[in-house]
Amino acid sequence: MPVVDVVLKRLERLVPGKKAAEIIEALPFIALDIEGIDEQNKIARIEYNPNRPDFSSDYGIARALKGLLGIEKGIPSFKLAGKSNCKILVDPSIRSTRQYIVGLVAKNGNLDDETIRQLIAMQEDLHNGIGRRRRKASIGIHNLDAISFPVTYKAVGSEFSFIPLGSSIRQTIEQILESEIGKRYRYILGTEGRYPVIIDRNNTVLSFPPIINGNATKIDTSCKNIFVEVTATDLKTAEDMLAIIAVTLYDAGFDIQTLSISNVGQQKSQDRNSKKPLPKGDARPSLTTTVPRMQQKVMIIDVKQVNSMLGLRLSASQVASCLEKSRLGAKVAKKDTIRCIIPRYRIDIMHPVDLVEEVAIGFGVYNLEPTLPAAAAVGHRSQLSVHMDIIRSTMIGAGFLESLSSGLSGRKVQYELAERKTPEEDKALAVHSPKSVEHEVLRESLIPSLMQSLSGNVHEEYPQKLFEIGKVFKKKDVIHEYYSVGAVVAHAEADYTEAKSVLQALMELCFGKSVTTVPAKDPTFIEGRTAQIIIDDSIIGVIGEVSPSVVENFKLRMPVSAFEINLSLLFP
Amino acid sequence: MFFPVNFNLADNVATLSSIERSILKALAMDDLVTIEKLAQATGLEPDQIRRGIEWLKFKGLISVVENSTFVYSLTQDGLAAAEHGLPERRLLNAVSAGRLTIADVLASGVLQEQEINAAIANAKRNRWIEFTKNVSGSIIKPSISSTQSPEEKLLQKLAQGNLEHSMLSEQEKTALDLLRKRPGYIVGKEIKTTKVSLSESGKRLGLSLDSQPQDHEEEERRLSPELITSGRWRQTKLSHIDVQAPVPSLFLGRTHPLTDIINEVKEIFIGLGFSEIDGPIIQSSFWNFDALFTPQDHPAREMQDTFYLSGQKMQIDATQDLILNISKVHEDNWGYTWNKDEAKLAVLRTHTTPITLKYLADSKPDSARIFSIGRVFRNEKVSFKHLVEFHQVEGVVAAPNVTLRDLMGLQKEFYSRMGIKKVKFWPTFFPYTEPSLQSMIYNERLGKWVELFGMGIFRPEVTRPLQIKNRVLAWGGGLERIAMLRFGLDDVRDLYSNKLSWLRSVPKCQL
Repeated sequence: MPVVDVVLKRLERLVPGKKAAEIIEALPFIALDIEGIDEQNKIARIEYNPNRPDFSSDYGIARALKGLLGIEKGIPSFKLAGKSNCKILVDPSIRSTRQYIVGLVAKNGNLDDETIRQLIAMQEDLHNGIGRRRRKASIGIHNLDAISFPVTYKAVGSEFSFIPLGSSIRQTIEQILESEIGKRYRYILGTEGRYPVIIDRNNTVLSFPPIINGNATKIDTSCKNIFVEVTATDLKTAEDMLAIIAVTLYDAGFDIQTLSISNVGQQKSQDRNSKKPLPKGDARPSLTTTVPRMQQKVMIIDVKQVNSMLGLRLSASQVASCLEKSRLGAKVAKKDTIRCIIPRYRIDIMHPVDLVEEVAIGFGVYNLEPTLPAAAAVGHRSQLSVHMDIIRSTMIGAGFLESLSSGLSGRKVQYELAERKTPEEDKALAVHSPKSVEHEVLRESLIPSLMQSLSGNVHEEYPQKLFEIGKVFKKKDVIHEYYSVGAVVAHAEADYTEAKSVLQALMELCFGKSVTTVPAKDPTFIEGRTAQIIIDDSIIGVIGEVSPSVVENFKLRMPVSAFEINLSLLFP
Repeated sequence: MFFPVNFNLADNVATLSSIERSILKALAMDDLVTIEKLAQATGLEPDQIRRGIEWLKFKGLISVVENSTFVYSLTQDGLAAAEHGLPERRLLNAVSAGRLTIADVLASGVLQEQEINAAIANAKRNRWIEFTKNVSGSIIKPSISSTQSPEEKLLQKLAQGNLEHSMLSEQEKTALDLLRKRPGYIVGKEIKTTKVSLSESGKRLGLSLDSQPQDHEEEERRLSPELITSGRWRQTKLSHIDVQAPVPSLFLGRTHPLTDIINEVKEIFIGLGFSEIDGPIIQSSFWNFDALFTPQDHPAREMQDTFYLSGQKMQIDATQDLILNISKVHEDNWGYTWNKDEAKLAVLRTHTTPITLKYLADSKPDSARIFSIGRVFRNEKVSFKHLVEFHQVEGVVAAPNVTLRDLMGLQKEFYSRMGIKKVKFWPTFFPYTEPSLQSMIYNERLGKWVELFGMGIFRPEVTRPLQIKNRVLAWGGGLERIAMLRFGLDDVRDLYSNKLSWLRSVPKCQL
C-alpha cells in the first residue's frame, strides 16, 4: 500500500490547535495506518488506502483530520482564481500516442523544501496508483515563469533531442529511452516510433511524457508560479489527478487558475469526454476546453438506509453532521433523505454505500458498539472436511505425524530429485513469473514434499513416520484438483511390507475395503518393489520402497517406503 | 525420598537373577562401562541390562554415574556444504578461476548474496585471499596457499558420521565452535549416558559369584502370564523396581499444530451456527477478481502479485446473463472496455471469497451463515512475514437486516472464543466491501496491537449482478498470523518447515 512521510511539526501547523500525539491517535479513524515513527526527526510514515489518492500529501491528510477533530466542517474551501491566459495547443499528431492533456496554473505561492518534497511524493504516488505506473496518466510540474505560452503537445520522432531533467547534456529521445528511467516506462509508448513532447513557443521542451521532464522548466524553492500538466491515455484519470493537485496546491497557498486547451487543425466536433478512444483517422473536435473542471457531484442518500446498514438510529441532521465531519457537503432534504455534495477530488465515492462509510467515519468508528445477531442457523462441517478428518485421525492412530507443505512447489523437488517424468508442455501446471524456483509448479504428488520433509530432519531420531493430506493437481483435458494422502516411513528397517500394513489398515478401518497391490513401475520407487493400489477395480494410488538414488537425492541416509492414495476417487 | 535398602549378602546372594549375575560378572572384568558395553559383554538386550541395573542399584551392589555428552551431526545444509564446499572455499575457487570482483563472483552464481560477507571474512582469516586495489576498484587475489581449513576437515569427518564432543581434538573443538557460529550447518544434541560400576559390596560379591549355583529359585521381576495362570504368583515375591528411572522416549503420531488451530476455528464457527463450504483452488479471473468489482487494470491483478497458470484459460463457470451483468457493472463504474478473455485467465485464488460468492450466487439463500478455511496464494517474496501460500479464514452472514455493528459483534465473539479479549476496529478499504473495517487485537507477548481480520459489507456492485438480494457481511484473514501468535513464532516459515523437533514438542493444549 502507498505510504506518505509526514513531518509532524508541519502537520501540527496544518491542523491548528492539535498536538502531534492527538493527531497520531486520530489517524487510524480516517483509515490511515501508522507504519512507523522516526522519533529523532519527528516524521511519521503513514500508510493510506489506494482508493484515497487525495491522502498522498500531508495537505490531504490534514483536510480530513480537521473534519474528524471538529476544527472544520463540510466541503473544504476551494476557489478558482479566474482564468490565466495560458494555452495548450494539441497537435493532431498526438492522437495515436498519448492523446489527452489537461493542466492548471498556480500562482503567488511559496515553495519550501518540504513542500516540494510533498508535491513530488504525491506525484509519484499518483503515477503509481491511479496512473497505473504512468500508463494511464502522468504529471509534469514546471516553473511557469520559464515558459512562453502557448505550449504545444505533439508527437515527434526518436531523433528529437532536448536536455532532460537533472542533466546538462542534450539527448535524443532514442538515448533517453535507453536510460534507466526510459527503459522502465518505454513500453507505455508502444513501437510506432512517435513520441509525445510538450514544447513552448520558443521550442523549449517542458516534458517528454510519461518518461521525463525537460531541465529548463524545473521547479525549486525560488518558484512562485507553477504550471502543471497531466498527459493521459484516459481522460477521466487525468482529470481526477488534476483535481487532487489543484486542491493540494490551493491548500499550499497558491491561487489556482484555469487554462484553455485547443485542438488544432480539426473541424468535426465530437464529444471530447467520450471514454472510448477515437478510431484512428477519425477527425478530432476542434474544441476549446477550460481546465481544471472542479464540478461537484450530488448524491441523495436515505437516512433509513444509513441507519439500517450501520445499526444506528441517527436523525437526519445527525447523519448530515457526520457527513460534514467527513468533509462532504450535506443538507437534510425532504422525507428523511440527505442531499450530499461531493467535492471533485473525492474520486472514491461512486455509490451511496460509499457515503454510508463516510457517515461511520464521521460518527467515529470508536463510537460503534458491537452487537451480536442471534444465530438463525445450525452449523456443520463440510462433508469433505469430515472425510479428511477420518483419514487424518486414522493415520495418527497408525503412529504417523502430520506434515504440511506448499502445494506450489519447485520443479527440482517435484521432478528432478524425485526422478519423476516432467509432464509434457501443455500438461504442465506452471505459474507465470514466480519470484522463486521453490514455487513454480503445482504438485502432482505429495511424495516429493514428504521426502523434502524427511530431508530436513536427517539429524532427528528415527523411526520417522510422516503423512500429509493435501491437494494435488493434474491437467487432462481440463485441470483437476484431487485430495490426496501420502505417507512415508523412514528407519533402518523400513520396507514395502511395513508400508503395505499401514495402507491395508487404513483402507480396512476407513472404508471396510481390502486392498490389492499389483506390480507396477514408477521412477521414484525401486523396480520390483512398487505396486499400484487397487480398490474396487480402479487404480487409486501407488506404494513402494523409494529408490536409493531418490533417497540419496534428498540427502537421506535411511531407507524409505511410501504410499499415496487419491482420496477424491474414494469419496465421490 | 526413597532410600534403597542395603543388600544383605549372606541372605540374598542366592536370589540374584541370571541377568544380575551376568551384569555383576561383566563388571568384575571391566568396571565403569556403559549400558551398550554391558549389552555387548553379556549378550543381553539393552532393555534387560537397564532392568538389571535398576535391581542391582536398588540392592546397593552397583553405583550408577549419569553423564552427558554432546553429539554433533550435519543438517541438510551441512551435508551440502560438505559436498560443495563452504562459502569461503567456493569463493576461493571462483577467484582462482578468474572472477576477481565481488560482483563477478556473485554473477557466477556459486555464492548467494547473503553468503558473501561471511565467505570473505573466513577466506581472509584462512589467508586464502587478499584484496588489492587497482584503477577499477577493489579486486580479490588468491593466495599461494589454500590448505584445507580445520572447519573443512571437521565437516568432512562429520559427513562420515556423528561425532561425540569428548572424542574431538582441541583443534577440532575450535573448528566446531567456528562452524556452530554459522547457522544451519550443525546440530548438537545432548546425549545422556549411564555408566555403571561395582559398589564395595558388589566387588566383594563378585568374587564369590562363581561358587554360587546358577539357577536358584528367583525373586520374580516380571509378572508373567504364566505366573498368573499357574497361581504361582501367590508364592512369589515381586521385586521392587526404580520407579524414578528414566524411560525411552515415545514419538506419537499427531496432527500438525496448524491443523489443531484450523479445527479450533471450525469448532468456533460451528458453535456460532456457521456451515463450512469449500471449492477449487484454481479459479478463473472472473470469479477471483471481476465478480469482486476489481477492475481489469487493478494492480492486484498484475503478475507481480498474483499467480497465473502459464498459458491456461478456463471456461467461466457462470451464465451468459451473469457475465453480461458483471461486465456492465465494470464498464459503467470504472469506464473501460471489459475484456472477457482477461476474465478467463486461470489464477491460483488470491482469497477464498470467490468460493463464497459462487455459493451465494448459486444458492441465493434468504439467510445464511457460512465459513471456509482454505489455501490462498500471493506471488510474494518469501520472508519471515510472507508466504506464497497460506490459509485464509472467511466468515459470511447473509440476511436482510444485519448491520455493521453485527459484523463487529461477530468478530468480537469469534476472537473471544479464541481467547482474545482486547479488540478494536478501524476503518479501512477493500474494493468489494463498503463500509470496510479492520480489526486490531492486543497481543500480550508482543505487548502491542496486531492487525488481524478485515471485514465489510459486500458492495451492491458485487451482490446485484449476482442477484443476491440480501445484505452480506464478510470477514476474513490469514490463519498463520493467529498460529504465530498462539505458538510464539516470529517467522511464519517455521509453520511449514516440518521440523520434527518442533512438531514433536509443541503441546497440543495451548492454555
